[in-house]
Amino acid sequence: MTETWKEFEANEVTHSVAHHLVAIYEVGREYGGWARVSDIARWLGITRGSVSINLRNIKARGLVAEDDRRQVKLSEQGLKIAQAIMAKKAAVKTFLRDVINVPEEQAEIDSCKVEHLISHSTGENLLRFIKFLTSDDPAARQALSQFRKSEEN
Amino acid sequence: MKLIKHAEIVDELNRLMAEEMEAFLRYFQLRYRLRGTERLAAGTFFETAMQETLEHAEAIARHIRILGETPHVNVNVEAGGGPLALKDALNEALVFEQQALEAYRDMLPRVVGDPGLEDFIRKQIATETEHVQEITMLLE
Repeated sequence: MTETWKEFEANEVTHSVAHHLVAIYEVGREYGGWARVSDIARWLGITRGSVSINLRNIKARGLVAEDDRRQVKLSEQGLKIAQAIMAKKAAVKTFLRDVINVPEEQAEIDSCKVEHLISHSTGENLLRFIKFLTSDDPAARQALSQFRKSEEN
Repeated sequence: MKLIKHAEIVDELNRLMAEEMEAFLRYFQLRYRLRGTERLAAGTFFETAMQETLEHAEAIARHIRILGETPHVNVNVEAGGGPLALKDALNEALVFEQQALEAYRDMLPRVVGDPGLEDFIRKQIATETEHVQEITMLLE
């Protein structure tokens, strides 16, 4: 238990940092990766002041670069983290929604809560598990079918 | 078309109001991170800044009412941290003052032609520019 807690503490990013990195990625997609603070703030639904304060820490960690017009772009490391977070979120969301039938909106909320906490290998294993369960493998189809039937009871 | 513009302007004004309210809360908390003589020396500066940010938020709220709407407050700020040197506190203040200035600058083209709002936003730009200059000067 102590080791798990240490791993949690040593995690690369906090929930807030994860959201900022993903926001920069999403906002910057149309502009060669560059994002304005105002657009990041709008995307996150917070003020520019908060984004700027939060970005100071993210910049200091080398996860984003800033140009002379105060636009920001993910560094190589920042991009890797953002992509890993998005991949893990997609895997968790797919599992919740498509395997255990959690409604879309709740799956979005819950996957958002854990996206930055689970390890890379857990994310990969989860993805493998989803691929297996949703494949044409008779054992998988039967397991999924049995699970769905158990929900009806 | 006119309705969309009206809604967008109100939306932007609500965001500006949130910027000011957050700045108030940050100034409020920053004061308590200063210690000893630095707190004594900078107390008035931070109290004045707090007062001004509240006045700005109030002025924005009044403009929202003039537009026939009710101000919508959406403030989500977490300000923590331990003791801070005055220079670092001013650097932090500079960050959110610069953002407030840029927010007003971005707003200006959207209200050109509206005498009341255009005048108000121009005055805010002048005031925020002064704030940024003042803090920059203190940091030299």
